[in-house]
Amino acid sequence: MFENVIDGIFSAAFLFAVLRVATPILLPSMGALLSEKAGVINIGLEGMMLSSAFTGVVVSAFSQDWFGFETGVTIGPWLGLALGVGVAMLLSLALAFFHLNMKGDLILSGIAINIFGSSATVVIMYELTGDRGNTSTLASLQMPFIQLPEIINQIPIVGQFAYEVFNNQSIMTWIAFISVFIVSFFLYRTPFGMHLRAVGENPDAAASVGINVKRVRYQSLLISGFFAGLGGIHMSMGYLQLFQRDMTNGRGFIALVTPSLGGGHPVGTMVASTIFGFFDALGIRLGSLEIPPQLPQSIPYFATVLALVIYALQRRISNRVSEMRTASGEAFDADFWKSIQRISILHMLLMVVSVIGVVTGISMVTTPRGFGGDDAILAGALIFIASVVLLLISMPFVTDIFRIQRRWAASGIVTVASLGIYLTLLLSLRLEMLISVVIGFVASALVWYMIGGRVLMRSE
Amino acid sequence: MTAFRTHLLLILGGLSGLAVTLFITNTMFDGSIEKMSATPTWQNVVLVNVLIGACIFLFVVELRRGAIRVLLTVVVALILGFLVTFVFNLDSSLRFTRGEFRVQVVSEAEALDVDGVDLEYNRVRGGHFNKPNVVEPVSEVAWSFAGGEGDVVSLLAYAKNKRSSVDPLVELRDESGAVLASATSATVAQVEERFDDLVRVTDAVIADFQLPADGTYTLYARPEELATGTIMTEAFQQTNVAFEALLLGPIQRVNRWGAWIQDAITLILIGLSFAIVFRAEQFSLGAEGQLYFGALVSGAIALNSPNVPSILIIPIILLASGTAGFIYGLIPGALKAYLGANELVSTLMLNVIATGFFDMVLYFQLRPIDSAYVATGKFPANTVLPVIVERTQVTIAVFLVAIVVFFCWLLIRRTPLGYEIRIIGSNLKFADYGGVNSRRTIMLSMALSGVVAGFAGMHLANGIYRELILDLSLALAFEGVVVALLARLNVLVVPFAGLLYSYLRVGAQFMERDANASFELVRMIQAIIILLITAEALVTIFQGRQKRADIDEKGHAVEALEAGDV
Repeated sequence: MFENVIDGIFSAAFLFAVLRVATPILLPSMGALLSEKAGVINIGLEGMMLSSAFTGVVVSAFSQDWFGFETGVTIGPWLGLALGVGVAMLLSLALAFFHLNMKGDLILSGIAINIFGSSATVVIMYELTGDRGNTSTLASLQMPFIQLPEIINQIPIVGQFAYEVFNNQSIMTWIAFISVFIVSFFLYRTPFGMHLRAVGENPDAAASVGINVKRVRYQSLLISGFFAGLGGIHMSMGYLQLFQRDMTNGRGFIALVTPSLGGGHPVGTMVASTIFGFFDALGIRLGSLEIPPQLPQSIPYFATVLALVIYALQRRISNRVSEMRTASGEAFDADFWKSIQRISILHMLLMVVSVIGVVTGISMVTTPRGFGGDDAILAGALIFIASVVLLLISMPFVTDIFRIQRRWAASGIVTVASLGIYLTLLLSLRLEMLISVVIGFVASALVWYMIGGRVLMRSE
Repeated sequence: MTAFRTHLLLILGGLSGLAVTLFITNTMFDGSIEKMSATPTWQNVVLVNVLIGACIFLFVVELRRGAIRVLLTVVVALILGFLVTFVFNLDSSLRFTRGEFRVQVVSEAEALDVDGVDLEYNRVRGGHFNKPNVVEPVSEVAWSFAGGEGDVVSLLAYAKNKRSSVDPLVELRDESGAVLASATSATVAQVEERFDDLVRVTDAVIADFQLPADGTYTLYARPEELATGTIMTEAFQQTNVAFEALLLGPIQRVNRWGAWIQDAITLILIGLSFAIVFRAEQFSLGAEGQLYFGALVSGAIALNSPNVPSILIIPIILLASGTAGFIYGLIPGALKAYLGANELVSTLMLNVIATGFFDMVLYFQLRPIDSAYVATGKFPANTVLPVIVERTQVTIAVFLVAIVVFFCWLLIRRTPLGYEIRIIGSNLKFADYGGVNSRRTIMLSMALSGVVAGFAGMHLANGIYRELILDLSLALAFEGVVVALLARLNVLVVPFAGLLYSYLRVGAQFMERDANASFELVRMIQAIIILLITAEALVTIFQGRQKRADIDEKGHAVEALEAGDV
């Protein structure tokens, strides 16, 4: 059954789904990135997405009454888009006003915006349709889907695959991925982008050179509301064709972490959002297996927590290395410390797998019925213990990178052992046990040697 | 503050507490002693009301002028909510133009025999004006009838029955279309004595009209046009009905009062949990997840111990749910303190994970296999919190909350850890210089707030629902944020804020039931309250003097330390 999943992951249909589900994360992520760059975190993305999603649906449905059916169907979605984004920007304006003028706490005001978005949509939906759950009684429209020219199909090797992935995607998906490059240009190639980054880096310094900090923050919050609005429109007029209460389902919060995961760069943010889209789509696909659906559904949330930790640790390690670089000057061995950093990342990634093992183990022990009976308790306990052991032995190397320097051999053994076990397990799905053990451990030893082991061994 | 003002404050607080206690008790029992003493366990009702009065006392004494600001904020938010409801109710007067109607021409004269007319004397015809969701709704009718010279006729147009509130007008037209007579209403005498079919005075009657000549006449009827005044009055009345249900609903009967108290207990516990972490300036929103784990653990223990005496098992459940909350609060606490992971995002993610885990265990493990519902089935009676007021679910949790509030106050104001939490909250860097182990304190503040949230989960599971169900908390945790903010993070004021806010929540349910208004309206009010209460600039506008007192209260500890150590 795992083979089916793995085959499915490499299919064009799966990549199509990844792009489709990544869009409503990517769009607000761009907004979150811009506001975080200006030093104001926009917690209200979720509420803004909801209100724009709802406005889009309502406007597109009623535009058929206002302008007649023919015209309504043509301009309805675009009018919905314009008004939906407008409402989201109004909410971000309110957030900016309460934070920047009224000196309200940014985070709590953001929470208020979320509560407002989630409740106001339901209240108005009930007034309009008499239903508290969704707007299925409204004949709402969808944004157009882009059909690619058939000629792409003719391109050898990649043509058909690319055609299946990119054909019939919503226009919002295209807008989302194109906006990454616009935002990138905007941030790094225009005076406004520079002001925005300056305000985020050090507001006092920015103010001292004559940048109006308040105005820049107002603008950045408005733009983040704009992107949240676009994301909301995709939820209700591309991803689905109706509005459900609280349909964004935490995407506005996920969007807050993708910029940190993507290193604070638009392209990195795009990659991070696509990773989330991948996990989302994987959750849907794993749902066909005989395991409780809640487990794969939680994957993106675990991934977020782990990404937060890894990002925070990585930043701390980089800080420490750059401190040492300034301290030791010419004598600093850049190559050596780069290898140590790479190995620490490998340790962290292996810990991620262990954490997933721990969670699966706990789930199996507490819910044996969900995994096919009481036998699952024993299996779950074994998985749990093994994962905890692997987690504990990598922990020291993650919290303090000097341990990797002092005990490089121990670190190497831990890396090779855990990576080897995971590779072996993966390979044994397809190959015989003995072969997979050999290949798994040799490969992981090679990986360790290549990314930094050889430098550490030489320095001894 | 002078001794005189302190005493004045105490007296003021005591009086407001007493007044509220008396008011609630009075409204509940309609002011009659007999009704009160006829209610079983009325002593406990009065006891709980006295505790409510004590909460009011603490609120006034602790917040002083801040109390006015909190009340003002709530009032402003309520007024805004009133306006929104008013706007939504603007269409409520449409009922006067919609509905089933009947018309007839009453006459004692001999009817002329003419073919091709719609009405005969004394024959009732009718229809439905402006029926919603119809392609071509009926907006007016013009029905012809034959009349002879000198016939005395009365033309009636009226609502079909009491359910239809349509307000019609009626006109008598001759063959050329000229209006001979018209009417928009009826007199009381006509309604009550003369025409049995009429429903109310808004029905239209042209009484005793003498037809001038033989011929075909037309009875024309349609709903009266709505005057702006009518629209406004009607919307205002509907909104008033809704807000009366919102503001007086929860104290009208003992069972409604019980619903208020049990909801308040949960909210107070969650509010305390937020007050503790927010005091340390940690924006942890993990209460929801901690609540789910508390409920899950206490539910699992309750289901597996049907024969243990209550006195033994309930403390065990309490301890276990607190521990579960502690551990689930420790995770984001440790991630924040030692790894620097943003607590806001990590707790939000952990909430979703906790909910998913709860659903999974409930669906696959705790639920009886043959059960059609995703619920565990009721807990054994010995594991349910004992009820102290009959016919409600007001349990001994009332006393539990009082004890928890006391211990939270002890923790924050009277222990070294609470002192460190407050210093970290006012200035993290300063706390570090002052030798506070800020990592440990941050972690513990989040974990300890988890304990209280775990208790809240236990109260939901073993006090209110008495089983585990899906969506146990229904986003209660975010409501807890409002409670903590309303109390301005002061643990002694949290009980008041919890009572006030859950009063609105429960009132909203009655509003939804009694009037045509949506429950979510109260969540909109909630958003407005958060915005207004966090907007510090508003303080300087309205209460220039209060600001000094606030800084004094918050910055007190820091000042003491500056004098000693630095």
